[in-house]
Amino acid sequence: MRDVIVIGAGGGGPVVAKELAAKGLDVLVLEAGPRHDKPREQWTTFENDANNPLTGYLRWGQQDRSKPAWFREWSQNSFMWQLSGVGGTTQHFYGNYPRAFPGVFNDYDGPDAAEYDVNHRFPFSYGELVPYFEWVEETAPVMTAAMGTREEVFFRGCETTGLPVQTTKTTHGPSYRPQENAILQPGGTAGRTSDPNLLSYPQATGCTFCGYCFQGCMRPVGAPRNQYAKRSTDNSYVPMALTADVWARGGKPAELITDAFVTRVHTESRAGTVHATGVTWRDNGSGEEHREDAAVVVMAGGCTENPRLWFNSGLPNPNGWVGRGYTDHSFDWVVGSFDTYTGNPKGTGSSSRLDFPPYGGMENVGVPPALNAFATTLSDSGIRGQYTNGRGMTGPWDGPAGRLMGPDMKELLAGGLDHVLAILVITDDDVEAGNRVVPSALPADENGPIPKVQFQPRTRSARTRRNREFMARKTAEVLRGAGAKSVYRIDWAPLLLHVQSSMRMGESERDSVLDSDGEARAVKGLFIADNSALANSLGGPNPTLTTQALATRTAEKIFRRYFGGDPWVRSESPVVSTDPRVSTRLGELGL
Amino acid sequence: MNGTPDSTVGLGRRTFLARLGLLGAVGAGGLLTRETLAPQAAAAAPGDPLSGVVEALRPVLAELARDTLNGLSVFTMPGPDPYSRAQGTPSDTPGAMEAGTTDFLIDALDNFVPMPDEVVRPVATALATGLSDTGIALPGTELVPAELATLDKALATVLQGDATIPLSLPIAALLNLLATQVNPAAVNGPFVSPFARLTYAEKARAFALLEGANSDLVAVLDVRLPEPLKGSVSGLLKFVGGALIEFATFGSYSEYAVFDAKTKQLTGRPVGWRLTGYQPDGPVEGWDEFIGYYQGRTEVHD
Repeated sequence: MRDVIVIGAGGGGPVVAKELAAKGLDVLVLEAGPRHDKPREQWTTFENDANNPLTGYLRWGQQDRSKPAWFREWSQNSFMWQLSGVGGTTQHFYGNYPRAFPGVFNDYDGPDAAEYDVNHRFPFSYGELVPYFEWVEETAPVMTAAMGTREEVFFRGCETTGLPVQTTKTTHGPSYRPQENAILQPGGTAGRTSDPNLLSYPQATGCTFCGYCFQGCMRPVGAPRNQYAKRSTDNSYVPMALTADVWARGGKPAELITDAFVTRVHTESRAGTVHATGVTWRDNGSGEEHREDAAVVVMAGGCTENPRLWFNSGLPNPNGWVGRGYTDHSFDWVVGSFDTYTGNPKGTGSSSRLDFPPYGGMENVGVPPALNAFATTLSDSGIRGQYTNGRGMTGPWDGPAGRLMGPDMKELLAGGLDHVLAILVITDDDVEAGNRVVPSALPADENGPIPKVQFQPRTRSARTRRNREFMARKTAEVLRGAGAKSVYRIDWAPLLLHVQSSMRMGESERDSVLDSDGEARAVKGLFIADNSALANSLGGPNPTLTTQALATRTAEKIFRRYFGGDPWVRSESPVVSTDPRVSTRLGELGL
Repeated sequence: MNGTPDSTVGLGRRTFLARLGLLGAVGAGGLLTRETLAPQAAAAAPGDPLSGVVEALRPVLAELARDTLNGLSVFTMPGPDPYSRAQGTPSDTPGAMEAGTTDFLIDALDNFVPMPDEVVRPVATALATGLSDTGIALPGTELVPAELATLDKALATVLQGDATIPLSLPIAALLNLLATQVNPAAVNGPFVSPFARLTYAEKARAFALLEGANSDLVAVLDVRLPEPLKGSVSGLLKFVGGALIEFATFGSYSEYAVFDAKTKQLTGRPVGWRLTGYQPDGPVEGWDEFIGYYQGRTEVHD
């Protein structure tokens, strides 16, 4: 019998594990995929080896890479980039930690208040979450991003928009800025030399501008795991959870079991109320099933897997909202071709952004060749110059939107990948009941019936479609302003990278799964602490910071409600995840 | 399957086998000799009279799939090869054939796409049995009805047998059927696969059909499938239309062909890197790319 079982070691679960391990609770973390504890042996910097969704070391599948990936059903042209493994999708994320826009919380009364997704706001105020933002920002830690040429080019375009520079953590209106990101900024020789002999820790600290964020961060070479530049949770929160005894008074290290797929959440009825009692998981290698009980169960398997686990466990779904309200920032991709060097794809994945509440935002993105190829051929608008698939929008970009492929892609890249700059268009998209996870009719896999993800990009709400078009135009204007000689809009098919709100908390019990404390309305002792718990798409900001702030708050609620403890965020100071006590203990543990 | 093959086969069936690309693989210069299909040869074989034909057919189907995927690979990244020339976009710089994209696709489709056999089999069978009568007039073939019937039965045996169907096969069948819908004359010509014979613009039209919400092919497939799969496959095919292009292009520009999985090192410079100038001296530990902080600001506060 554990105090707490956390399902999933991705962006959210390890936060709850770390916080409650620090309070001395007995915490078990179960992760469906592998633990990459020796990245210098297990990883490379190559795109197919790393990112092939079927065979890469960063994929959605079990530890044994000779076995097929896990199949998920998509009922449309789309791609859902799920990852298993310790760190989850933070293994390949770009570490951007902007705060949610104030306009998505229930106390917002700015002049544009009616322009947000007003029916699906957070069930508390922005101010309520600020101490938790600050706690995570100090723990990760979050810093102002340094510039490379790519950022300089992006800012040159932003400077032509007439928008101000944001110099606060909170976004108060349309503005641009360097990212606030969870990346240790370059120190020593990092970023100042390309000579590999000069880039070992501690001569180099923080980001070395290697350009391999998407392949997993293991630099500077020789650094302890919790000193790698990018603060994916395998580098930040997981090391803290596993070493809680050395940095927290009364802390108890969490236990982590990997390659362990949770297939069922168990419940019992107590005085007419359903309570979570534990879980069953399956060892991917041996196929053996294990069962363990706990006072509290925390789901953090992601926006697609949490609904699946809910359905497969037969848990109550009285309002039908389990799996509904899935948001994805309805991304788009706009590419500029330049006569001059753009710095792509060196440096962090993305170090600058422009926010435009209440429409969304954009960020520059560095992409190596294969990812660039994928990104410029993922389209709902057919093949540029050949067919439009009923779309092919025109605007301040060149020609109709659509895939840039074959001879056209070769021509685009003939001047070099470092003469191209890509910008991700981020949409403030509405929570819509029809965008959802449902049980698939296709055959089950070894872990039970699989989920099907339904998105209808062409029939999304009028506000979502308006916001996407607005931001795509702004993005093209920024690229023109930066000096692009050609600008191409791809009109992405849904690419599920920023995923939110499929198990949302909300003000109304009619359209939310969780109450305002992150606990399931229909199952007591069952909490959700990842992106799926978010009430909405945050207005467009990348979700990790808000998810981790909310998970920290949820950890406090668990501690108070089920273990009689006091909250700590407003009364204590956080320990930074790079703390040398964590490094030393990791060394002793052989990690 | 037992018994002597039927001696007749309908015109629709003949048309269909031609559209799959199978008839192009048989006969003079083809991968399967007419003698193999002759009724007397089949009848003379000991035991199952079809088994010899079936065994001869498997590698032919694999070759047909490879030829078809060659046509897809150069669609994503043309180069100095015959397939790129056939599609009308020859290039002086290396392309997908040099980047190993076809092997990349076959390896992925046949070994790693976790598509359950319960889905692949009905789709493959529907592709091979359900689309005979689509009213597309084709040039005649030289096979006599009895040979066609043997081929047809052998194909059915392959699809209905116990062995897992390589996913590359229904994918190739799909592309070839679409190809002959776009251009019926593509049943004849160089290569084995009708899809590989298309021009770049015709290949694009084939994908337009696959991606289009009203694709006849998608509708026909759905009708042929049993519940509860009905309704799922049309969505899956729309996904396949996009994924084939995205995944093939990803492979073309990746290190796939020159990556040694044992040493985790490259044995040469990837085509995609040569074309894009990516990291000219190979993998790095870092770059001297840090140029400061915007407006000199290193931290912000509320």
